[in-house]
Amino acid sequence: MITTTTPMEGAMLKLPCLRSVSRNTNFTNRSSNSFPWSYRRLHISASASASASAPLVEGPKLGPGSLGHITRSDFPILHQEINGLKLVYLDNAATSQKPRAVIEALQNYYEAYNSNVHRGIHYLSAKATDEYESARQKVANFIHAAEAKEIIFTRNATEAINLVAYSWGLSNLKPGDEIITTIAEHHSAIVPWQIVAQKTGAVLRFVNLTEDEVPDVGQLRDSLSSSTKLLVMHHVSNMLASVLPMDEVISWAHDVGAKVLVDACQSVPHMVVDVKNLDTDFLVGSSHKMCGPTGVGFLYGKSEILSGMPPFLGGGEMIADVYLDHSTYAEPPSRFEAGTPAIGEAIGLGAAIDYISEIGMQQIHDYEMELGNYLYDRLSSVSDVRIYGPAPSRTVKRAALCSFNVKDIHPTDIATFLDQQHGVAIRSGHHCAQPLHRHLGINASARASLHFYNTKDDVDKFIDALKDTINFFTSFK
Amino acid sequence: MDSSSNLNFPFTISCTPTKLNPQFCPQKPTFLTFMKYPSSFLTISSIPTKPNPQSCSKNPIFFTSIRCSRNIRHGLSSVSCLIMEEAPLDERLSVVDKVRSLSLEFRSLSEPIDRVKRLLHYASILPPLCESARVQENRVLGCTTQVWLEVRMNSRGSMNFSVDSDSEITKGFCSCLMWVFDGAEPEEILSVTAEDLGDMNVGLPKKGRSRVNTWHNVLFSMQNRTKDCVQERKRALSLEDLHSLVIRPHEHVGGPSANGSYLESEPKCSFEVK
Repeated sequence: MITTTTPMEGAMLKLPCLRSVSRNTNFTNRSSNSFPWSYRRLHISASASASASAPLVEGPKLGPGSLGHITRSDFPILHQEINGLKLVYLDNAATSQKPRAVIEALQNYYEAYNSNVHRGIHYLSAKATDEYESARQKVANFIHAAEAKEIIFTRNATEAINLVAYSWGLSNLKPGDEIITTIAEHHSAIVPWQIVAQKTGAVLRFVNLTEDEVPDVGQLRDSLSSSTKLLVMHHVSNMLASVLPMDEVISWAHDVGAKVLVDACQSVPHMVVDVKNLDTDFLVGSSHKMCGPTGVGFLYGKSEILSGMPPFLGGGEMIADVYLDHSTYAEPPSRFEAGTPAIGEAIGLGAAIDYISEIGMQQIHDYEMELGNYLYDRLSSVSDVRIYGPAPSRTVKRAALCSFNVKDIHPTDIATFLDQQHGVAIRSGHHCAQPLHRHLGINASARASLHFYNTKDDVDKFIDALKDTINFFTSFK
Repeated sequence: MDSSSNLNFPFTISCTPTKLNPQFCPQKPTFLTFMKYPSSFLTISSIPTKPNPQSCSKNPIFFTSIRCSRNIRHGLSSVSCLIMEEAPLDERLSVVDKVRSLSLEFRSLSEPIDRVKRLLHYASILPPLCESARVQENRVLGCTTQVWLEVRMNSRGSMNFSVDSDSEITKGFCSCLMWVFDGAEPEEILSVTAEDLGDMNVGLPKKGRSRVNTWHNVLFSMQNRTKDCVQERKRALSLEDLHSLVIRPHEHVGGPSANGSYLESEPKCSFEVK
């Protein structure tokens, strides 16, 4: 049954807005001792008692010898000129660059053991299967899943969400059930559930933002009820840079018997994510945002839930036996991986995980926090710039990205000029978050997003280029 | 006024096709390079400094002399050649000629910033679309910027366009497309491909559909709506007692529907028969 109006509009409830938002600052340290370079760990206090106005950057961790300076040489693509200028790549929230180790893993696969996986008896197939399944284990280890079979390779995170929507959603939701999400979700976390709501009669409800421009988890908590069957939320916003306290949110959802799907595309590449600690039911991630190849993403699902889900796609690989009138299905993860997968890309993802794990996710996170705060501070000092999302403080952590607008200059004009005149790559548009942009009263925004291979120099060049861009367009008015 | 003696090389001379001069925009496009100095050049190309297709098509004129003045306002390394005298133009430029002319113009601007400046200049002379036309049903979908497009087929069967954007660079693109297509016959408009406009890009993808490829999206939107107008005109002309018919953009129930392409889901054109 379809709800009285379209799920997107009619089922969107205006719930009371709560100001207080608790934030998760408990990031588990991992593999910090294996960091091969003498990078000094950063320490940013999360003490709630500290003054919010105190400087956020505590030490000279962004200068020469920083993580960015050390790792840049691993990324061949960064060492080129664009329009005659040295490339400054600040579009990492869209996709990350690939270290040489990943490129070589892909090349090695295609040069040395390219073969189809799982069913071949010959050496190449066995080797490819071993490496492919090894990549699955690496993903499982990386997000602290209990077993490799809880990891399903997909084309991307979007497909992973659709897998849950079409498999779990269509078989578990019924009229009147509620799916709760936020207005700040990526389109890939909204549209599949609109489709599911239309097909099942479930109601799609949306949580608004607080005045601090953070998804209102207080409102979310108040909206949970026995009707809530699924919560779909991002961990880190690709536009607001807000970091949600998913451990608390998931706990609240489980209290009412709801399942939780976490969109971790913007968190997994930048911080420690532990699915066991979070106790999430589903979590999706994208290879290309975490230094891996495009064409592969993953779905984490608890074993007991995956085992009860019907297939998403039918075909080879996902079956046990096929008869003319029926088939029996393989156990997860094979059940959800119909057809030949992106073998080389999955192996490349495994290489990416090896690479960033060797650095250490806590080190990456700490460095990016400091660099992100530096970006925020410098950008907020530019006249007529409006940065979206929460202001960082001792207690409020932002991801290392800034979505912003400059008064009376279209973000696409800014992005074009930065690229053409300064070789600075940022993104403009709605970042696949149109409902959020509408809520903020804008059609588009510019976004500069960092990764651990960016440096303070990159931020400085971007700010200088932005000032020049603003001056340029102002002169034409 | 003769400021040529004060010019510093290299620079570009642009000739305004607001009033088009067939001598400067011939079938074989003019692209003259003067090697004043070994490392310097002077380029003359025919450029829509002030695109005004209606003037081109309805009251064609051409210039008999040009005056050159260096544009130093924004540090441009180009020179605008302003029209001094006007005379009737025997035949208007074809769409193909205009595309070729635009292509030459942008190819002659080797520095990206000069292409951006040129587009901003064209943006500044594009008449704004009235607020009532800046509505969702006139949106060109698939752009990272907002583009509104009105399409009309006039009583002679040629096409008229009005276009606007919230982005200045995009508006510059649109201004060029307006100059090329406004007043043209449907067959001419439909003959242009995205690749024909490839040289006009400012760092944008030349091929394929992209959310940022304004050339591509606006061009295809103009062409799709032109096709709709042609079909509607054929249908309308088959009705004997028709005095006046205005077909408004389609009003989709529940908003645009997916027809396999975001471009195909756009509203249709306005069509007038007298």
